[in-house]
Amino acid sequence: MARSFPPDDPFQLSATRPPRAEKKPRPSWPVRVWRALFSMRIDKSRPRLVIVMLAFISVFGAITYKLVHYANQPEEVAQHHFPVTEIAKARPDIIDRNGIVLATDVKTVSLFAEPKRIIDKDEAVELITAVLPDVNARELREKFASKKGFVWIKREITPKEREEIYRLGLPGIGFQPESKRIYPNGTAAAHILGYSSIDNVGIAGIEKYIDSEGLAALANAGLASDATKLAPVKLSLDIRVQHALRDELAKGIDRYKAKAGGGMVIDVTTGEVIALASLPDFDPNNPKDALDPDKINRVVVGTYEMGSTFKALTTAMALDSGKININSTLDARSDLRYGKYTIGDFHPTHRILTVPEVFIHSSNIGTAKMALAVGVEGHRAFLKKMGQLDRLQTELPESAEPQVQKYWNELTTVTVAYGHGLAVAPIQAVMAVSALVNGGHLFPPTFLPRSAEDALAMSQTVIRPDTSEAMRYIMRLNASNKLGTAGKADIEGYFVGGKTGTADKSIHGHYDGKRVFTTFMGIAPADKPRYLFMVILDEPQAVQGTYGYQTAGWNAGPVTGAVIERAAPFLDLPKRFEPPVAPFPTMVKLGAWGTK
Amino acid sequence: MPRIFHALAIALLIGSAVYVYKIKYDTMGLRYEVVRLEKQIAQERDLIALLKAEWQKLNSPERIQMLSDANLDLVPLTVSQIIRWQDVPDRQAPVDSIADKLGALGLIDHPSSPKSPDITGSVKKKD
Repeated sequence: MARSFPPDDPFQLSATRPPRAEKKPRPSWPVRVWRALFSMRIDKSRPRLVIVMLAFISVFGAITYKLVHYANQPEEVAQHHFPVTEIAKARPDIIDRNGIVLATDVKTVSLFAEPKRIIDKDEAVELITAVLPDVNARELREKFASKKGFVWIKREITPKEREEIYRLGLPGIGFQPESKRIYPNGTAAAHILGYSSIDNVGIAGIEKYIDSEGLAALANAGLASDATKLAPVKLSLDIRVQHALRDELAKGIDRYKAKAGGGMVIDVTTGEVIALASLPDFDPNNPKDALDPDKINRVVVGTYEMGSTFKALTTAMALDSGKININSTLDARSDLRYGKYTIGDFHPTHRILTVPEVFIHSSNIGTAKMALAVGVEGHRAFLKKMGQLDRLQTELPESAEPQVQKYWNELTTVTVAYGHGLAVAPIQAVMAVSALVNGGHLFPPTFLPRSAEDALAMSQTVIRPDTSEAMRYIMRLNASNKLGTAGKADIEGYFVGGKTGTADKSIHGHYDGKRVFTTFMGIAPADKPRYLFMVILDEPQAVQGTYGYQTAGWNAGPVTGAVIERAAPFLDLPKRFEPPVAPFPTMVKLGAWGTK
Repeated sequence: MPRIFHALAIALLIGSAVYVYKIKYDTMGLRYEVVRLEKQIAQERDLIALLKAEWQKLNSPERIQMLSDANLDLVPLTVSQIIRWQDVPDRQAPVDSIADKLGALGLIDHPSSPKSPDITGSVKKKD
């Protein structure tokens, strides 16, 4: 169809008009988006709405997602306040059985500098020495001049000093919070607590025990991250009894001019150590003192020939073996001879003695004969069973190996029977005597709380209950009978029983009759013992009032008595006004010496 | 109608923006407060530990004994001081000394009270 001009059909004009859109090229996408957004034509507004909607949905979606994400995240803010170094140094408090603080951490602040970051070193030195006059200015200048990244200016400053330094606003000067270990009771219980270093690491005693077992275990359990979460370590000690023991011991050492001394109070039903003292001692707040070898814990680390207190073990062994009974008689008329050695009695009786008489007269001859009746092997096996031949390990890291003779012959048995020729730690002897009087249950002493049931469950039965009753009977007899040696410790109303021991000290392989080591083991109440009190004195002298004697009955005995009198009100040990009814029924039935 | 809706929407938008802003700043404030309180708690805790230590140091048996020896007339308890309730002596019969005097002078009719020595307390003798 050809074009006609003029158009014959006016309507054809529009029909033949070429469509504009087809001729134009399609615009690029930004232009299209632009147009879609800003085109003012109402019929083209749909894409614009879609785009805006998508934009809003995506933005708000992102915000919502982030919000939910943050809401579900754990709180992290609080953890940045404690530097790692401080966490490692936190130590738990140590408290006694009544909750009284024995050792605690106190927060202090130490001042340090990062020399590289100090701008004006001279000014810094001047200002710091103005606040801390005890800091040497010259030394400080040298420290700041060094290439070190970190130097201490002063450890453990006071809060006031801290405030003043802080106000100086010096760059490169910082504060490091630290824990300082405090022992508020000073010397009391020093040997048990031990001490810790300036970096709060346990060095000795329970402090070291906490590090080696307690704290490590806690750290593994994730509990030691914060000092406030560390549960205090409760000990079996009673600080009141501890002080009474230490004080009476100090008085005793002073009175009898002894070189040193030690003492212990133990609950024989549980094995809990209520108090343990060794003099001379030290102040754990000043641990340098502790390094003096004279200040060792004599009760735990020292080994001594315990003397006649060992006769209690020999007597129990003989009675328990059945070869000797309470009414057996032993000939103490003449001394025992072994080659060049002669064994005699300190208080010779020169007659035939029954077992209780042997005990209260502390007859070496009679006791040796009892041991010989059991025999060398039996004696040794019994001492092994009683834990006297092996190292006794308690919670304290310190311990001592008993000094046992290599060749054990009849003479050895004879001397060990009365406590010579075998040196043990006093705490070891205490453990054995506890077992003799508590019904025959041997368990190791502990410095941590322990119940009687737990103690019984872990115990080993070493002697029969009737042997135990016989031991209690003869120990009581030793205190109540006027012939006995333990009378000075017989505090009225507590029904005390006891055994003295006086060992000649071995100096360069020879026994020196002038130098003695005296011991006393007291039990109360003897009919049903609850506590055992032990006192040892190293080289006590005969002083006014002891009538020239330096034996245990005249020094360790009265000291033990004073400890019992003073400590009993703190202990669960009421005074009795009537003597117990039939305290030793079996002994009465057997008609033992002294029951009539 | 759509105008009102738009105005409302815009107002809501501004309102919510302001509200979010406020919440954000409140949170920041609370966070500072938390940090401050935590620090204060730690400080108080350290102070408590310090005071506890000081309290125990002041109450340590050794110090108490030293102070008691220096300033008080107290002596350690002895076992004889612990007695039973029934061993505590009965209270003395009241003595009316004026009436006694008057009775002795014959001014009034008054039987004289039992003569009592000046004892303020005693322990029954153990038999």
